[in-house]
Amino acid sequence: MKKKNIFLARRLTGRYASLWVSVIAILLTIVTASILLLIMGKNPLTAFASFLQGCGFLAKENYGGGSGQLTDMLDFLNYLTPLILASLAFITAFKAGLFNIGISGQMLLAGFTATVLVGYNKALSPFIAKPLVLLIGLIVGGLTGVLVGYLKYRFNIHEVVSTIMINYIISYLTGFFINNYHVDMMTRNSKVCTPEARLTLTNVMIGDMKCKIPLGLIIAILIALLVSFLFRKTVLGFEIKAVGQNRRCSEYSGIRVSRTILISMGLSGAIAGLAGVAYYLGYTNTIIPKSLPSMGYDSISVALLGSGSPIGSIFAAAVVSVFQQGSNYMSSSLGVAKEIASLITGILLLFASCGNYMKYLAGRTMQQTSEIASQGSSRTAPASPESKEAKTK
Amino acid sequence: MSEYIVEMRHITKRFPGIIANNDVSIGIRKGEVYALLGENGAGKSTLMSMLFGMYEPDEGEILIDGKTVTFHSSTDAAACSIGMVHQHFKLVEPFTIAENIVLGVEPMEKRLGVLPWVNIRKANEQISELSKAYGLEVNPTDRIEDVPVSVRQRVEILKMLYRGAEIMIFDEPTAVLTPQEIDFLLQIIDNLRKDGKTIILITHKIAEIKRIADRCAILRQGRLIDVRDVAESSVQDLADLMVGRQVRFTQDKAAPNFRDPVLEVQNLTVRDEHKFEVVKDVSFTVHGGEIFAIAGVSGNGQEEIADAIAGLVKAASGKIILNGKDITGEPVRERCLTGLSYIPEDRNATGTIPDMTLQENLALREYYKEPFSKKGILQHDAFRRYADQLIETYDIRCAQGPDTVLRSMSGGNQQKAIVGREIEEQTSLIIFVQPTRGLDIGAIENIHRQILQERDRGAAILLISLELEEVMMLADTIGVLYRGEMLRIDSAENMTMQEVGRYMMGVREA
Repeated sequence: MKKKNIFLARRLTGRYASLWVSVIAILLTIVTASILLLIMGKNPLTAFASFLQGCGFLAKENYGGGSGQLTDMLDFLNYLTPLILASLAFITAFKAGLFNIGISGQMLLAGFTATVLVGYNKALSPFIAKPLVLLIGLIVGGLTGVLVGYLKYRFNIHEVVSTIMINYIISYLTGFFINNYHVDMMTRNSKVCTPEARLTLTNVMIGDMKCKIPLGLIIAILIALLVSFLFRKTVLGFEIKAVGQNRRCSEYSGIRVSRTILISMGLSGAIAGLAGVAYYLGYTNTIIPKSLPSMGYDSISVALLGSGSPIGSIFAAAVVSVFQQGSNYMSSSLGVAKEIASLITGILLLFASCGNYMKYLAGRTMQQTSEIASQGSSRTAPASPESKEAKTK
Repeated sequence: MSEYIVEMRHITKRFPGIIANNDVSIGIRKGEVYALLGENGAGKSTLMSMLFGMYEPDEGEILIDGKTVTFHSSTDAAACSIGMVHQHFKLVEPFTIAENIVLGVEPMEKRLGVLPWVNIRKANEQISELSKAYGLEVNPTDRIEDVPVSVRQRVEILKMLYRGAEIMIFDEPTAVLTPQEIDFLLQIIDNLRKDGKTIILITHKIAEIKRIADRCAILRQGRLIDVRDVAESSVQDLADLMVGRQVRFTQDKAAPNFRDPVLEVQNLTVRDEHKFEVVKDVSFTVHGGEIFAIAGVSGNGQEEIADAIAGLVKAASGKIILNGKDITGEPVRERCLTGLSYIPEDRNATGTIPDMTLQENLALREYYKEPFSKKGILQHDAFRRYADQLIETYDIRCAQGPDTVLRSMSGGNQQKAIVGREIEEQTSLIIFVQPTRGLDIGAIENIHRQILQERDRGAAILLISLELEEVMMLADTIGVLYRGEMLRIDSAENMTMQEVGRYMMGVREA
């Protein structure tokens, strides 16, 4: 027991501490979720296996015609793409100390605008329509973000308040237009957009399997690299981080704080806009009126699980996607309500946000270990081994 | 019965990465003023926090009146008649003085036999009597937010007296007071001693110990170095014991050589967020090669003057001219490029980004210029080289070199980093606000030397300090600020310390 504590402590204080925090958070989540599943009378092992089967990581027992493990895997990637982008959007604002809770709204508005302007235009060739969709996503999302930044520095309206309000406005406004002009009478959702505009190629035959290919995934990974570069290498990234960590000192150093807030909120919104088009013109291909995508909120847990690292968030997004995307199959094969996926994501968020506490505990354990070691045999430290055990538990 | 009223035996207290107290044993006699002397981080406050029950010692024991006690909280300590005045007062600002004093031990009554009721009138009377008995005049019905710092301190002392404390701990009580207020406080402490109370005084100001204390324990790096009878020790002895080497109290100051005006402030008025004029119609000029010191009690508009010159707050009216250029409406960066650097009062809130590394903090004035960045891309090698150079020149101690996270460094080394960064800009005006706040003697000596060096280089120095001794020692010209107004500006030779102190209290005709 003691040895294991030191093993963990060493990792949590080392160079890859953030990575280990994420790993431990995931393990703790699996343990907690297992207990929940046991209470419901289900076998956790089967449950987790079915999550993985639903995402194409493990083979299912049988497949319907024209589908296979690869189909499931590509479906999973199709869901993963907008989630990666959404979490990058969150990270970009978060580095500037801004909590962009409006990613859902920014996604919806960008997705709606692109659907209406490009998705219903049957005359455009795919080589014009797809880039145009991306461009509209960037611009619409970016402008929404800039508006939030402007409200923040000009009228001192906290971004959490303004984004929540704007989320509602966008949700009802787009809902109104969809219901009045673009509704599909059968599904009660918006009409589907043309395959030319859609960012996911559908009905691609690979062997005898019908697959979807998410083109946006390349863009998501590209953006992750760009965001990573922005914060590691550029003057702008340095200024955003400075503003995020100490606004007053940034002002003192001559950084134009309001401009930096506008830029980072604009960038965040633009990336959220990309997430929006990847979601509404890729993953779903239709918009449910008056409903915000829960992905906008999931992106916060993803960003936290990835310790705010752009590259880390690709992997964190994959973990969350396994639960979200795999929940359909899990639900149908085990008969557990699909909502368990959101529950697990919530637990994950909870443990991931304990990261600093874990690092603190680890630091203390290391401290005590080195002290006991250095005290050696000359002085015995009474009662301290027991107390250490108690604390590290 | 033991000879001592308070005895702390073999106390050891560890914090992560540091041993705050290492096998410290002290004994305090009833009715004496016992001083704890030491530099910052020597472990004085930690030791007393354990006596007051805020921490528990890892090893060792505490005896009160010869009996071993274990304090789990300050409530336990208060039950043994121990009281403490903290460096940062613990008062509820919107409450009245009386309400603050009785808070937690309110005189309770039962109205109609059942309703609990605080009899605040009775409390007011009790406090009035108590304050007269000890010469600590206060008006029990004033709100804390409306009274000055010195009165707040009296309230803290009354709080201890009201709770019947016999052993009183004062943590750096004079740090916020003017010379006259310090005299008054020391008088009060003397009265308390005559009344049979036992006083423990935590301080790093030796002059005060010489004036009031009977005995003095010297701590250095968590260890007890010596316990001296104050009457038999010289100031120099105590200082050397505290620092662990020979200390120089005065700086060799060359005669000033004034050059052209560098900074001209004309009729500057600054308003705070409530539209209140915190700086009123202030005018002064600082020449190259001159140290212009602004003296004043904290909160009289000093920081606002510095912030207005540096561009962190807007001037409501008036003009600021730097090197002949009107910078009143310019953004911060423009002002810096015109020739201004600024060592702000608050190291962590304004002067640095504590969670960034030392090298990033050292480059805050330069990062956007070549060679630190080229076409918007940061050059991390340049950051590192520059940091290595400054660490060497300014003797900045840091565990992991340029990669040290600033927060993990000691206050003194953080200040060295800021001073180094700003001096390295070689600007024509340097603003120092409270440059030695919270630093120990060795570090203070160093910063004073650097200020004089910069003056002799020909820079104009604007020094804003609450430490009157610092002002008197360094200044060529002194301006005294009271409630946002510059009451008097004169050459330092023409003013005595007492005179400056009186102006600081708002007396116009000294």
